Amino acid sequence: MRLPATVPAATGETTPRLTRRGFLAALGAGMTSVLATTPGTAAPQGSQPGADQPGAQQGPRLTMSGPMSESAYRPVQRPAKPGAQASMTAADRDALEHQIHCQCGCTLDVYTCRTTDFTCPVSPAMHADVMQLVAGGYTGPEIIAAFRAAYGERVLMAPTREGFNWAAYVTPFVALGAGAGLVAVLIQRWKRAADLAAQPIASATAGGHAAHAHVDATPEELARLDAAVRDDR
Amino acid sequence: MILIGELSLWVALLFAGWGAVVSFTGGALRRADLSATGERAVYATWGFVALAAAGLWTALLRHDFTLRYVASYTSANLPRLYTITAFWAGQEGSMLFWALILSTYSAIAVWANRGRNRALMPFVCGVLSAVTLFFLATLCFGASPFTRLPYDVVDGNGLNPQLQNPGMAFHPPNLYLGYVATTIPFAFAIAALVTRRLDGEWLAAVRRWSLVSWFFLTVGITLGMWWAYVELGWGGYWMWDPVENASLLPWLTGTAFLHSIMVQEKRGMLRKWNVVLVVSTFLLAILGTFITRSGVISSVHSFAQSPVGVWFAALLGIAVAVTAYLVATRLKDLEARAELESMISREAAFLYNNVLLVGIAFSVLWGTLFPILSEAVRGTKITVGPPFFNAVNVPLGLLLLALTGIGPLIAWRRASIANVRRQFATPGFGAVAVLAILLALGMREIHALVAYTLAGFVATTILQEFYKGVGARMRMHGEGVALAFIRLIARNRRRYGGYIVHAGVVILFCAFAGLVFKTEHDVTLKDGQTFAVTDPYGHHWEFVSMGISRFDALNRQVTAISLKPTRDGHPVPVIESEKRQHVDSRGSPTFEPSTAVGIDERPSEDVYVVFTGVLPDDTAEIRISFNPLVWWVWYGGALMALGGLIVMWPQADRARAQSGYAAVLAPERVAPAPAVT
Repeated sequence: MRLPATVPAATGETTPRLTRRGFLAALGAGMTSVLATTPGTAAPQGSQPGADQPGAQQGPRLTMSGPMSESAYRPVQRPAKPGAQASMTAADRDALEHQIHCQCGCTLDVYTCRTTDFTCPVSPAMHADVMQLVAGGYTGPEIIAAFRAAYGERVLMAPTREGFNWAAYVTPFVALGAGAGLVAVLIQRWKRAADLAAQPIASATAGGHAAHAHVDATPEELARLDAAVRDDR
Repeated sequence: MILIGELSLWVALLFAGWGAVVSFTGGALRRADLSATGERAVYATWGFVALAAAGLWTALLRHDFTLRYVASYTSANLPRLYTITAFWAGQEGSMLFWALILSTYSAIAVWANRGRNRALMPFVCGVLSAVTLFFLATLCFGASPFTRLPYDVVDGNGLNPQLQNPGMAFHPPNLYLGYVATTIPFAFAIAALVTRRLDGEWLAAVRRWSLVSWFFLTVGITLGMWWAYVELGWGGYWMWDPVENASLLPWLTGTAFLHSIMVQEKRGMLRKWNVVLVVSTFLLAILGTFITRSGVISSVHSFAQSPVGVWFAALLGIAVAVTAYLVATRLKDLEARAELESMISREAAFLYNNVLLVGIAFSVLWGTLFPILSEAVRGTKITVGPPFFNAVNVPLGLLLLALTGIGPLIAWRRASIANVRRQFATPGFGAVAVLAILLALGMREIHALVAYTLAGFVATTILQEFYKGVGARMRMHGEGVALAFIRLIARNRRRYGGYIVHAGVVILFCAFAGLVFKTEHDVTLKDGQTFAVTDPYGHHWEFVSMGISRFDALNRQVTAISLKPTRDGHPVPVIESEKRQHVDSRGSPTFEPSTAVGIDERPSEDVYVVFTGVLPDDTAEIRISFNPLVWWVWYGGALMALGGLIVMWPQADRARAQSGYAAVLAPERVAPAPAVT
């Protein structure tokens, strides 16, 4: 079984134990800033060293995003279809498990969790359910639907493409399109302004050197400067 | 020393508060004496924060387990390197580390500007002192690393085994250096807005700091990917975790700024936009900290929920409100001094690039926050994981890659059709050639084909630019190829350093696309058994189990599996993966078992072996993955960092003037340019 026994610490207190995900939690201290439960001066009496350590624990074990919910597992079982044969290959099953979110409290999919965190009791149980449903002849969408019925939408690694969830997928592209449209309008406006500003000067240029009367340079020098600006990539 | 450190934290708090007050007052009343006092307060704050840091390091190295922090994150048998790095292993220490870097940066910024930007500096000092004050107040009142335990302990808990990796010494510090460096440009932007001195002065002051931030974020993110890859065992390096996303957000907006700043420098345009980007970069760094540390979003890096998150929310709110007010009241001062002349111009390309970079930043932020929105709107918890981020960001990323190649090919101001045709011919041919070769080799994966075709286009663009530049130098100066190449870069570091960064981007995209071809195999092997498999390149591999061994190492008990591989019949070095049980100084287990991944690294692919468990009959459970092109992720990142270093390396004006083909015009002088067209 993956659940480790609690052992006494050198301090005589319960030893904080750490999952692989605890590493990720601990890494957070190094990766971004700060700010979490730090008893500090207001630490409750009896709190132990390491109680605030990422990944360290005294009660429930920690996952990457908080206490591991070992009771989060809910059986997803269906009777096998008549004359059922395995509905997919092992590779397809692994791909399917990449779409199902482990419910232990981590942020991994079932496949990644069960092959990465060897202490998680939830992902192997969910994997067993997937295996059983595959053996029972259920297709990928049917298996996904069964898991969704048991756990709700949070069991999926990505929002379904329906209803409000479309906002998740569409909004970035709408925002990008709006940004691009805004830029296009701005460019057109700037271009018009630039053309307007250039017109009187261009007409003056046609009449001779008068246009450059305010510039201390010959037209040839200005042409060279212009070419230099254009070539400066 | 420890007591001195603890007291220093409080003294630093006072100096930061004093510095903020006198700096703002000095700036507002134009009192040079107060402003000078504010600058001295910045130095004093740095000194006392450094003392506080020295105090904590002393406590760690002396194993002073009376301190909660020391007892929580170290033990007597912890190797010295990790005892030192435990400084940033926990909440309180990492907070102090942030304050240390911020006060150091502040002192450097004040010193570097002691003879420049005098009108801005009182407000720069004020902002820097105020932000430092915020962190010090959080340390003193919410998360002090000097809190003492109310009882004695014989030994500490030790450091999480997976933090006992050399990555711990490099990845967090680099990321912090990147995050914190965004504060300096923010301070200058606020100062420029307050004083309405929004010309090139403040831009020149912030450009290098923005590069510093970009450089360290690039290095930090790359090191984070490497660390996750070699340490965690899931075979990837990026999982779109909220904290990973948080590090990407300021990097994206910072990158956008480093491009758009060129438009302002050369044409006096995008002045409002640049202010927004500088401020956004800082705010995103703080927002990332808030969303992952307040507990509002689940993250692999979360500690726990914290009321201190509210403080960060307040900081964020105040910063947004102040900035919005300042920008809104100074719109006229931010008017552009030139107009865009064509949609096909370098300026326009930078604008498109900015839209994409900011669009990607928005999509990442949107995906990160969408679970909160969904729960608020529908009351339904959902997960937004890698499938979502990949679906949304892969097309945007590929567009960005295309623009990376297109931008340098288009002339400033207005590109003629002939110019475009001439410039695009060779890169276009390069792209088609790559596509043809890959199709001929049998590649049919559409995303990979698009990525490699675009990579071919961008790579040819870069090569073309270097070819032209080197050729010009050889003709003009009679230099050899090598000398011309070196001088080409040395004399125009911004341009060619930028191309080197682009080359790193190309390599990264190629490496990312390689993961499309990743294969994984779960196998069980007894001693002497063989597993045979074909890798994505068609090479035949055999892995012979050399059995399971058990032994004690420094501070851990190890169970290891050794595999003797052959590739197409040729022997390959033994790959060993371990399960480790860390123990304390009395030999008692301290943490749950962890795994050390075995990797056979090669440029074409990594063979990635994870020892997943042992069955009762001593059969080893192993996962073997072939991860194509991962090696290039690290070197692509390194190349980007090298390019960044070249770009930000100081260049004497004389050398720039001698570069021969860079017509650098001050924005003010650019305005009359349309008159000559």
